[in-house]
Amino acid sequence: MKKLRHVLALVIALSFIAVPNASSADFSGKTIEWIIPFSVGGGSDVWARLYAPFLQKYLPGNPIVAVKNMPGGGSIIGGNHFDSRAKPDGLTAFGSSGSTTFPYLLENPKVKYDFAKYPIVFASPVGGMAYITPKLGVKSVADLKGLKKQLAYASQGATSLDIVPLLAFDILGLKVKAVFGYKGRGPGRVAFEQGEVNIDYQTTPAYIKNVRPLVQQGQAVPLLSWGVVDDDGNIVRDPMEPDLPSLPEAYEIMYGKKPKGPAWNAWKAFFIAGFAVQKAMWLPEKTPDDIVATYREAAAKTIADPEFQKIVEKSLGGYPQMAGLKARKAFDQVLRVPKKDRTWLINWLKTKYDVTIK
Amino acid sequence: MELFFQTLGVVLSPPHFVMLIAGVLMGLAIGILPGLGGIVGMTILLPVIYGMEVHSAFALLIGMVAVIPTSDTFPSVMMGIPGSSASQATIMDGYPLAKKGEAARALGAAFTASLIGGLFGATVLTIIIPIARPIVLVFASPELFMLALLGMSMVGVLSGQNPIKGFLAAGIGLMLGALGDAPAVPEYRYTFGFDYLMDGVPLVIVGLGLFAIPEIVDLLIKGRSISKVATLGKGWLDGVKDALNHKLIILRCSVIGVIVGFLPGLGGSVVDWIAYGHIVQTSKDRENFGKGDIRGVIAPESANNAKEGGGLIPTFLFGIPGSGSMAVFLGGLLILGIQPGPSMVTENVDLIYTAIWSLALANVFGAGLSILLSKPITRLTIIPFSYLAPFLVLIITFASYQASRNWGDLIALLFMGILGWIMKQYGWPRPAALIGYVLSDNLETYLFISVQRYGFSWLARPGVLALALIILASVTMGIFYQKKKSPGS
Repeated sequence: MKKLRHVLALVIALSFIAVPNASSADFSGKTIEWIIPFSVGGGSDVWARLYAPFLQKYLPGNPIVAVKNMPGGGSIIGGNHFDSRAKPDGLTAFGSSGSTTFPYLLENPKVKYDFAKYPIVFASPVGGMAYITPKLGVKSVADLKGLKKQLAYASQGATSLDIVPLLAFDILGLKVKAVFGYKGRGPGRVAFEQGEVNIDYQTTPAYIKNVRPLVQQGQAVPLLSWGVVDDDGNIVRDPMEPDLPSLPEAYEIMYGKKPKGPAWNAWKAFFIAGFAVQKAMWLPEKTPDDIVATYREAAAKTIADPEFQKIVEKSLGGYPQMAGLKARKAFDQVLRVPKKDRTWLINWLKTKYDVTIK
Repeated sequence: MELFFQTLGVVLSPPHFVMLIAGVLMGLAIGILPGLGGIVGMTILLPVIYGMEVHSAFALLIGMVAVIPTSDTFPSVMMGIPGSSASQATIMDGYPLAKKGEAARALGAAFTASLIGGLFGATVLTIIIPIARPIVLVFASPELFMLALLGMSMVGVLSGQNPIKGFLAAGIGLMLGALGDAPAVPEYRYTFGFDYLMDGVPLVIVGLGLFAIPEIVDLLIKGRSISKVATLGKGWLDGVKDALNHKLIILRCSVIGVIVGFLPGLGGSVVDWIAYGHIVQTSKDRENFGKGDIRGVIAPESANNAKEGGGLIPTFLFGIPGSGSMAVFLGGLLILGIQPGPSMVTENVDLIYTAIWSLALANVFGAGLSILLSKPITRLTIIPFSYLAPFLVLIITFASYQASRNWGDLIALLFMGILGWIMKQYGWPRPAALIGYVLSDNLETYLFISVQRYGFSWLARPGVLALALIILASVTMGIFYQKKKSPGS
């Protein structure tokens, strides 16, 4: 017994010496509940399940990181639950997606969660590429100018992530009729192939696998990517499809000047929220700094892990993942969206699609 | 072709085979538990497959999902409680057979039909996958709307002698389906301020509420066992013979199953009703339907197993799910690092073959094991129901709670149960309500899209006209046989 105590004391002492700078949080034998406000098998669920085993490996004490799906109300129910119930002890985390951030930005009265209050752990970007039918003779974005033909886009809803493509089409001056009621980008793409609609976009992984073959067969003409945000906050070409102009470039090609004004500002804000920092892991309000630091360190180690890099390439679109302060900085751009840009967008939804946020 | 048989070797090699059997056993267990179906099974397995070798993971997932429509027949036949949403229609005739003490016969027929249907689905998958894309693309929103309408036209034959009650019940179903977020506008309907209702009432709760609760209540009131006779009559071998005597029904309904499965957006949960409605509609002698006609068991059971083969087609080729469980399977593919798409047929053809073999083998093992199990399990129908009821109530409550893990699930189950019991007491056809509920989203969504996109010109599309003719023919045929029968009866 005495011997055991010595060993214990030694272990404790050693653990202090071995990692002098590490934070004090230790999760041995604990289970961390990671609330994902979407159902099993969806994009956010897959994202969380790809991250979970690595976080488990790199969080001190190797706690079990359990994904808890809490779908409902377009992710608002899970978000509100996290806000009202989660204790700041590092044992509950939350995973948000663009569909969680949009109602927050649009000041949906049902939303009780507030991203300004929570520490962010890491964030994952995704890109999007738009393409059009070859039947209209359009070869690139340059040909879009003066295109008289009415286009149709298969949309999931005016307040969904589709704000980004719909507003992008608007900024480029395209006449696009949004056909609402499709259940997601997959059915939207099938509608494009059926000829039910003639302009569409896909997120990067789906674009690469499903649209590139169409492009090769001459059944789709790629137009532009939304772009990616560089370190200075500018929107530049998407490295996954470097031949395509980004939205601001496309605008410049068509109109010879850089986009500006409220529509552009609002687009940029919603693009960042919906794509550039589409998914993020959060800890509850008032979580102690050492726990936050521990999580961010684990996220940084995960992202640096070559095994995880392979997963990023294969399943997460290949974009650089952002841990800690980098994620904070990126998401700050979402939080800093000026009130007037949001109001502009809310009015745009109202006048263009007769949608009131309630 | 060589690769096709090579893949069989891979699937039969020990590590994969163990996974396949594990999947089959799990699928059988989930199927037997009332209310739990493919979505729950997939949800349980998804965390397990992380880091697993792809072919093994396929054997596990597909082995599981393939046999659920086989074993979910047990509660449907023996207790009148849907084992999963795929076997709701089996209740119509399977349960009356059990009451007559012929549960073993019904099960024998059901498993044989399931086996043949499942193998048919796997075969079709093999043949059709290289050429499936253009076929799927023919069905745009207007055609999908017409297919949903075809489903609704089954309400007539499912309402028996009381078509008016049938149509009203279907109307109740449509309204139930309209609860929650609207398909095409960002609005929530009839939520009465409850967050729970924002996504509507889940299918599993409507199914269990309408069918399971009323049955349990009535059996408890009567205070007897499920079977009215104390001894079990005909055995499962008679059922196998029954099934083999109705080969054409199995074939027809398997075709229906595959088609419903491979059309994305139709959802698999009506396939059993469509097959059942079809068989009632096309039978001249229909007096016994609803009272224990073996054809009413064979039809839905062959269709629901065939559906899984069809459902894999849009999942692999388009990355869009053909049913609820396929939606979760799709997430599984992404976890395994597979992005589905047209190139699956060229780049990952070995995976497709693995899926096909897993599907076929799982159906064989699933049906075999179910037949072995049927003898001891059918004895449950002759013990007093009061011993079974507490266990069943527990399972049903548990299954309902899996729908969204919210207290609302239990309250909704109670309400649906009361509604179902009242409907049963006053002879309102509950299948009609269920069909209305399941199809309401499709009907509304595709009509909305069709009108937005095409104005009224969609009505003149050749596919729409062809389907309109089929609907007309099927309704006329239904009325014709009904008329011909009534003067005599």
